Amino acid sequence: MTTTFKEENNDFVMYFEGRLDTAAAPQVEKEVAPLIDCMGHNVILDCSKMEYISSSGLRIFLSILKNAKPKGSHVYIRGLNDELRQVFSMTGFINLFEFK
Amino acid sequence: MINSELILFGFSIHAWITIFTIVSIFIVMSRSRIPAEVAFLGALTILLVTGVVTEEEGMAGFGSEPVVVHAAFFVIIAGLMQTGVLYWLTKHVLGDPKNYKNALLRLMVPTSILSALLNSVNVVALFIDAVKIWSRKLNIPPSKLLLPLSYAATLGGMCTLLGNSSNLVVAGLYLNKTGQAMNVFEPLIPGIILTIVGILMVMMMQRYIPPRDSADQSFETTSDYTVELLVPTDNPAVGETVEDAGLYNVKGGSLVEIVRFDREIITPVSKEEWVLGGDRLIYAGQINEILELKRTHGLAAADHHVWSINEIDTKRRMRTAYVTFGSDLIGQSMTQCDFEQKNNVALVAVARQGRRVKGQPREILLQAGDTLLLECPSKGEEHLEQANRRSLKFFDSHFVPRLGAKTITSAIILVFMFIISSLHMLPLMATTMFAAGVMMLLGCCRISGVTKYIEWELLLILGSTVVFSIAITKTGIADIIAQQVLQLCGSNPYIVIAVMCLLASLVSEFVSDVGASAVFFPIMYQQAIILGCNPMPFVMSLMLSVTISFASPIGSSTHMLIYGPGSFRFTDFARLGILMHIVLLSIAILIVSFMYPLY
Repeated sequence: MTTTFKEENNDFVMYFEGRLDTAAAPQVEKEVAPLIDCMGHNVILDCSKMEYISSSGLRIFLSILKNAKPKGSHVYIRGLNDELRQVFSMTGFINLFEFK
Repeated sequence: MINSELILFGFSIHAWITIFTIVSIFIVMSRSRIPAEVAFLGALTILLVTGVVTEEEGMAGFGSEPVVVHAAFFVIIAGLMQTGVLYWLTKHVLGDPKNYKNALLRLMVPTSILSALLNSVNVVALFIDAVKIWSRKLNIPPSKLLLPLSYAATLGGMCTLLGNSSNLVVAGLYLNKTGQAMNVFEPLIPGIILTIVGILMVMMMQRYIPPRDSADQSFETTSDYTVELLVPTDNPAVGETVEDAGLYNVKGGSLVEIVRFDREIITPVSKEEWVLGGDRLIYAGQINEILELKRTHGLAAADHHVWSINEIDTKRRMRTAYVTFGSDLIGQSMTQCDFEQKNNVALVAVARQGRRVKGQPREILLQAGDTLLLECPSKGEEHLEQANRRSLKFFDSHFVPRLGAKTITSAIILVFMFIISSLHMLPLMATTMFAAGVMMLLGCCRISGVTKYIEWELLLILGSTVVFSIAITKTGIADIIAQQVLQLCGSNPYIVIAVMCLLASLVSEFVSDVGASAVFFPIMYQQAIILGCNPMPFVMSLMLSVTISFASPIGSSTHMLIYGPGSFRFTDFARLGILMHIVLLSIAILIVSFMYPLY
């Protein structure tokens, strides 16, 4: 699993590539640290190259959302494939996030 | 093949193998929860492999009269259940006693009379379910009533030749030897006296009857169980922490584990843990309180993913069932089999011997005797019970048969069966098979899937028991012991009778009454001839003494029947049984000695 952080058009964008499974989750949790201080920026989680997301991956996404909301930032998810969308639907996350 | 000619301490190698095998069964059965039929079949395998019994002898037991009669009788019982005869018996024979002593009388007197006419095994098989329902009504542990039922049936069975299978065996052997057929009421007088004494003993020593908790009540009486509930996708708690959602510390229990949709397990669970749709929340605590979360927090009991709580039929209800011995579910977890999907049920909790089983209920490898709390559809109760009759026994059966013409028909079939067998118009095996067939033909018992009603595990036990008696006879164990007794006792017939009856009753206790009577009859008859005595006191005292096997579940066929339903332990039978054995055996020998002249 590789992650890349970019600032694009005043948005904080995090690119995820590969499988965000339970084994990869602790490392990814550290790598998303730049998103914590997001005051004044919207956050985009780009999943176009993500192959799989486990429940621990979803917990990281939820932590990002819970951190951003009180700061007035929106968290968008971008580029979900059908399989990932199914996971988001089943877990009820489709109702929590905004999608691009 | 082992050399059977070799003699060690007076017994052949085969005799030692037989002794070792039978002793091992007792150890295995008294110290483990291995199903009885597995222990018996294991022992049979040893006897076959070591060449103690031939293949033909090893299999002979399974075609023997007790096995076939029992198989046919299970079908008859199914007919009696489905047409409501059992229901009628519970309602009218057992009645509504005021206290436990009264209940014992109401139970033991009619069942002992019925046993004398109908055979003790039949009566116990007929009454087990009725007595279990009755025990719930009276709020008495089923074991406190099932053990007296077994005693009463065996005691009553002593009164006639039809009452106990061993009586028929002894009478048959006597006919072969002397050409004289015994009257069906030959053992009536000693039988009645022993029945009265036996019933009085049970009533006086009732505190020695173990109060085993009924498996179905363990959910109510124990406060600590594991319950599994699912978070539907649209639940408002999704995205919240378990604490904020009110799912962490709940009334009557606590959240011990979360199993995520991808089977990741979170344990211990922190207050800050997020709730995801599809989570399975595992709670420990009081079941009734925790199940309230379904109503208050929109959680579900389900085997599959639930998108919305609206999908769940709110009329579904909780039912308790216990895993029967020989059940297909043993050794499997709910996630490993399709039981839930096939029956549209969801496993919510598992209880095992009154203790909480750690972990996710649906992942627990089930054992015989485990009690399951299942969420079941609101309709099709009877179908669910019948379809899973061999795997599960539902306790909260609300199925009440409608009484009607078929109730009378099946009762008439039953009465005719007993008239035909008591008049010896047909052999018992033929009579019971005929009655089972008529039950099905006249629509008292459904023909489709009729074999489901047969409790094969019991038939396996009975079949194996017969083989043990063959092995004991064949290897000369019985013969050597009996001959040595005669040498030791000298020529006093009373002492010979007393010692032989004591031995016969002990063998009966450890093997089977039928086996013991078959083994001891020829020896005792021969002893009577050698001593120049009338064989009748020898034969009659043998007939009575082999039935007096109250101290182990193996010794008595009726004890075997109540073993599972009463949640008994192997040693429970000895508590009252040993004293009853000694007292009744002494009385039996005394009465017979008075009644029948020796010369």
